[in-house]
Parts: sequence; C-alpha cells; structure tokens
Amino acid sequence: MLKLTGISKGFTGVQALSGINFDVRAGEIHALLGENGAGKSTTIKIIAGAYQPDSGEIEFDGKVVRWARPADAKAAGIHVIYQEFVLFPHLTVAENIFLGYERRGAFGLIDHKKTRKDAAALLAKLGVDIDPDKLVSELTVADQQMVEICKALVHDVKLLILDEPTAVISGREAELLFARLAALKAEGVAIVYVSHRLEEIFRIADRVTVFKDGQHVVTTEIGNVNRDKLIAYMVGRDLKDIFPPKRQLDGSAKVVLKAENITVEGRVKNAGIEIRAGEITALAGMVGAGRTELAMGIFGGLPITSGKIWIDGEQVDGMTPAKAISKGIGFVTEDRKGQGLAMQLDVAANITAANLSAVTKTGLIDRRLENEIAREEIANYRIACRGPGTNVATMSGGNQQKVIVARWARTSRKVLILDEPTRGVDVGAKTEIYRIMRNLADQGIGILMISSELPEVVGMADRVVVMREGVVSGQLVGDAITEEAIMSLATQHPTEAAAA
Amino acid sequence: MSAIASSGMTRSIRKNQGIIVVLVLLAVLLVFGAFVSERFRTANNLLNILEQSTGLALVSLGQTLTILTGGIDLSVGSMISLLSTLTSGMINGDGSMVAPVVVGVLALGLVFGLINGILIIWLKVHPLIVTLGTGAVMQGLVLLYSLGPAGKVPKGFTYLAYGKLLGIPVGAIFVVVVFALVGWFLTYFRLGRYIYAVGDDDTGARLMGLPRAKVLLTVYAFSGFCCAMTAIYLVARFGVGQPYTGLNYTLASITPVVVGGTLLTGGKGGVLGTLLGVYLISLLNNVLNFMDVSTHYQLIAQGLIVIAAVSIYVEKRKRV
Repeated sequence: MLKLTGISKGFTGVQALSGINFDVRAGEIHALLGENGAGKSTTIKIIAGAYQPDSGEIEFDGKVVRWARPADAKAAGIHVIYQEFVLFPHLTVAENIFLGYERRGAFGLIDHKKTRKDAAALLAKLGVDIDPDKLVSELTVADQQMVEICKALVHDVKLLILDEPTAVISGREAELLFARLAALKAEGVAIVYVSHRLEEIFRIADRVTVFKDGQHVVTTEIGNVNRDKLIAYMVGRDLKDIFPPKRQLDGSAKVVLKAENITVEGRVKNAGIEIRAGEITALAGMVGAGRTELAMGIFGGLPITSGKIWIDGEQVDGMTPAKAISKGIGFVTEDRKGQGLAMQLDVAANITAANLSAVTKTGLIDRRLENEIAREEIANYRIACRGPGTNVATMSGGNQQKVIVARWARTSRKVLILDEPTRGVDVGAKTEIYRIMRNLADQGIGILMISSELPEVVGMADRVVVMREGVVSGQLVGDAITEEAIMSLATQHPTEAAAA
Repeated sequence: MSAIASSGMTRSIRKNQGIIVVLVLLAVLLVFGAFVSERFRTANNLLNILEQSTGLALVSLGQTLTILTGGIDLSVGSMISLLSTLTSGMINGDGSMVAPVVVGVLALGLVFGLINGILIIWLKVHPLIVTLGTGAVMQGLVLLYSLGPAGKVPKGFTYLAYGKLLGIPVGAIFVVVVFALVGWFLTYFRLGRYIYAVGDDDTGARLMGLPRAKVLLTVYAFSGFCCAMTAIYLVARFGVGQPYTGLNYTLASITPVVVGGTLLTGGKGGVLGTLLGVYLISLLNNVLNFMDVSTHYQLIAQGLIVIAAVSIYVEKRKRV
C-alpha cells in the first residue's frame, strides 16, 4: 500500500531522518517504534503531506507520489490521527467529526439534523457515549481522543496512521479502539500504529519497525521479537549508561518545599507534594492528569482555590511566579519555544533572563559581564554553540534545553521544577540533561521532574508521586519504583487506589 | 423559514453567550433612556437610531468575518474614504451615471478586498500588517484623486439613506436582510463552517486539508464589498464623498464585533452578535445625546464598553 524509500529530512540544525525505508501492506497493522526524537512524527508528517522530504521516494497504492500539502494525501485516502489532536474547540462534536465531509441536504446546504444523527450513530458504532452537540472544548481529553478516532470512520480510508492513540484513554476505551482497528484491518485498510506501550504492540501488530536517531533499525514480523529485544533496538545502549547513579536515601533529607490540598479549578483536586533537598522527585501520570497544573499552581502561575505552601518550613501565601523566583524556585516549562526561550535572542541574553539584576550595573545591562557568565555556563553545561552571541533559534532542541536549565539553575537555590525536560531531545542530549539534573541535586537543590516517559522516571527518580485525574493516586520510593507500579497508579480509579 | 430562522437563532445563542449579554445591556439602556428623556421614547427617535447605525453595521459585517478567521481588516477606513470619494466624484450629478458607478464601486471594493486576501496568503504576513499597508496606500490614492469633497450626486440618490419603506428606513431594512443572509451562509454553507475552523485552529485546518486560501480570499473580498456598500450609503447620507469620510470606521468597525461576543482570536462568534453590538453602540450614543453630554463622552463610553466586553468574554487561560 505504502512504500517509503531512502527518505531524508533535515531541519535547521537537526537531521530528523537519514534515508529511512518503511513499507505498510494493505490489511496489516504495522507498529512504528522509537524513542522521542527517533523520527516517527517526522515520518508521519511526510506520509501525510505536512512535510516534504529532502530526498527519497514515496510510493502509494502502486504509484510514485509527491504530496504538496496535506489535502493531497487526504484525497488519496490517507488519514492521520495526530498525537496533538486536530480538533476545533469551538465547534461541536458532530461538526468536528464531519468537518470536510459535511452532511448536506437540499441545495447542498449543511443538514444540521443529519449531522447530529450520523455523528451519534458513528459514536455508538465506536461504542462511546458522547453528546454530539457538546463543544469539543467541553470534553475530557479521553473523549476528545475518541472523537478524533471517529473522524477516521467518516470517509474511505486506505491508510490509517495513529500516533499514540492510547496515551490519554483508559483500558476500556482502548479495547473499543482495538475492536475498531481489527474491523478496519479486515476491510483491507493499512494501519500504522505508533505507541510506547509494548504490550499493545504485541497484542495488535502484525509487523514492527524500529527507528532510532532518524535511522531505520529493523523491520520484522512481531513473532520474531520479544520485549527486551525491542527495547534494545530502540535504546541502542544499556540503560545504566544513560542514567547517572541514584542517591542513597537515608531519610535525613530535609523537605524544602511542601504543598498541601492544592486545588486548581477543574484540573487539580486537593493534591499535595513534598520536595526534598538533594533528591529528584518525579511527578508521573497520564497526559491531562493535572501534573503541570499542580506544579504551576505551586509556582503561582495558575490560580489555586485552596491549599497551603511552605518553603523551608515557612508558609507562603498568595504565591506568584515573581515571589516563587525570589524564594529560589525555578520552573523549566514544557514548551521551550512558547514559554521558555526568547528564540530571537542570543545564548547570553537567555541565560541571564531570569535574573537580570545580577548583570545590571547602574541601571544598564553589562554585556561584558553577561557574556562572561554565559561562557562559564556554556562550558559548565557543555552547550554546543559558537559562543555567547549564538542565536538560540539556530541551535538543536537538546542544546536549547540546556540553555534554559542553565538559566534557572542560576536563580534556583532551593527547588527546580522541570516539565518534560527531555521532550524532543536526542538520546545524547538526554544523557547530558540527566547528568545536569543529578549534579544540581547533589548540590542540595530539590528537583521536581514532571515526565510522561516511564523509563526516565524509573531511571532518574528517588521518589515518585503519581497523579490521576487531578488527584494524587499514590507515591513510590526507592526500589518500589517500577514501570508497572507507576502505570497501575496512573490508570486505576482513585477509589481503587484508596482501597489498595 | 421561521423554523430555520429560529433554529439558527438558538444555535447562535448557544455558541455565543455574548448575545445574551448585549441583549441585557440593550434592555438596560432602553429603560434608562426612557427615564432620561421624553423624546427618547418616541418611535421616530428609535427609527432614527436604526437609520444612523446603517453605515457602521455594513462595515462591521465584513469585519466580523475577517475576525472570525483570526484576522482583521485595518484597511476598511481608507477603503471607505476612497470608494465614497470615487462614487460622488464619478457620478458628478449625472443621473445616468448612478447605476454604472454603483456597480463599478461595488466591484472595486471586491477587488481591493481580494488583493488584501491574496497578499495575506501569498506573502504569509499577518493580516494586521498587510491591511495596515494597503490602507495607507488607499488613503494616499484617494488624496491623489481629490483633496476635498468630490463631485455630487443627484437628489434621488439620498433615498438610499433617508428613504422609508412602510415607515422604516430602507437602510435599516437592508442591514437586517444582509445580516440574515450572511448568518444563513455561516450556518448552512460548508465555506461558512470553514471560516470558523480556520479561525479556531489554523494549523489544524491545514492538516485537515480544508480550503484555507478560499476562506481567506472570501472573507477579505467580502470585507471590501461591505466597505463599498458603506461608502455608497455614506455618500447618500452626506450627499458627497470626501477623502476622510471613513477615517473613524477602522477602529469603530471592530467595536461592535468584539462587543457582540466574537473572539478577536477567531473561531467563535457570529453576525447576530455584531448586529446587536451595532445597535448597542448607536443606542448608547443616542442616549448620551439626550443627556446633553459632549460627544467626546461617547468615545469614552465606547472605549470602556469594549474593554468591559472583552474582559467578560475572554476565555480563562487554560495554560500559563
């Protein structure tokens, strides 16, 4: 059905794909695996026509094709369910499902009644109970995912691509999805399935392909591999070479930050957390569980409706980011470009951004001092750039991340919060960031790491706090930290957790 | 028809709670006005308000669509000045020129709007910048054409502004009809749906293969067309066009749109809210007139209303 040959694609500063090969047959589920930054998303976007490859050939349905835009691939019968949904929050569920394939009645006008009815029928076919008249912005993330899946059932699809479809849904909904995929497969649809959950892959996939660092590693029948083998293909090296050794916990570490009963309207309910000096505490859970919101609430970036916060045993009321920073707390946000880096400024300006007063003399910024500090940090964090004057927009994701960490580490004497610190970063840079985090902890800073990547949580965390649907569903310490334990806390109902 | 209209109305209200806010404000102002002045209560005065709101209504209609797509048209003021000056200048008192000039000016508005749309798509520059630029160009063009009021129109032309049908100003009737047509278009045409989708999530619309270029060309061309209608109406009202006629309309056209509940970021809102917003502002000015306060206070009140409205409608930021 689909055949990619020798596809390469580079972005400023990064070679995302180097000559990869990939093929999918009609009537098969083909799992695509790889760590973040392995090139899966880029591959999907090339198949979907959202990116154009620098070189290589795409063959679809027996013909060599070149998509100029997503509409071309869509017209040919390719449907993509992106990890970041393509849903329109101010349109209703029914309107979203049929967007581009509007139900029409007399004179070609949109038939609202039929739209609603057909949407309800499709949702029922999928087996979910969602009101087609609701605005998508009013749905839970899991329901949004199901609507996104529904959209694929509206038109004739030859190739269906799903990017992490189960990341935000529960077991029951996943079963509904798998049943639907089996039916589509029987109809001869080719399916590409991207997921980090290996159990799922062994259950539903016929073949599996692994990418690593933008290169094709292996393609094989699922029966030829086991879990350990797949992980070895994906990681390409031993885990202990990636993660620095953990700290020996002796229980003496003092609590630098304590939060109790934090509630953020609609996102977090009465959640509490303790961060200890010198330790790395991980905040785990599914996307949408309220982890970022809890951390942001503590940092003062989101309004909290209840809760108390202590820093070094001293209660702090009316937290704002400015107050948090002055108390020695730093926050490395998830979205580097949107919330963290000033992309058009140079490395030096970005490093000093959170603490300009340190480089300000008589009201003016001392560029010489600023550059000196930057040079020091560039060496400290092994930031790959030409010098303090390098524009950060031209640097790779991993190096940009180091710039932000360097910035916050300068002002964060007590606590550094990092939200998905290694997202979109290659394995080499990941290892560096882990080393930096451990070093900061060893200097006595309390680290709070929000992460969706289980291997990262297990490899780095001294303590793990797991959240589910806005509440803290459990805590794990030391040897109790395993992927299975975290997953079960992240997915079971709070009541079950309380009973357990 | 009434079933369609009512279902369209409930849809509009459900999707745009701003409508209710404006309706409440309208009611409050009406009651307040009735207390302030005897003459306010007369049917004549209310019709007067409708008549005076025609120009603002027409230009705001086009502006609503550009804002729904997440864009904006800052060239409307200059375009109105240019087109109104051309209208009276080219008719120049000759009754036989009225029909060709009106058709020509409407076509010209469409073309200017299309140029805005093409530049936005082709240069990939934000509409704010593109239309700021084309607006300046058009202001320059009109001043090259004439430094003051140009030409004149035959007597009958003023019917467009002052004529009445069954005792109601024709301009006001025309406004209700075109607003209803555009509301119908937004609700029942696929292109209308895509206007919302592009404004809601531009990248998403591209990934879904929606006809983004067609959407943008349509809304900017229509905005130009609305400017032409406004220009013709203003000539009918004042008897002549001049190079600064449209000056205030650029910002004034945005006010009713946001007061009516349409998000400046696009994707939410609609023309019913805008129409009510127009009435609200005209009513406000009228009431202030009767209170014998300086017209400068009208601007102050308008400004405060915009800020208040937007602060009510603004969606609570979900992320930091």
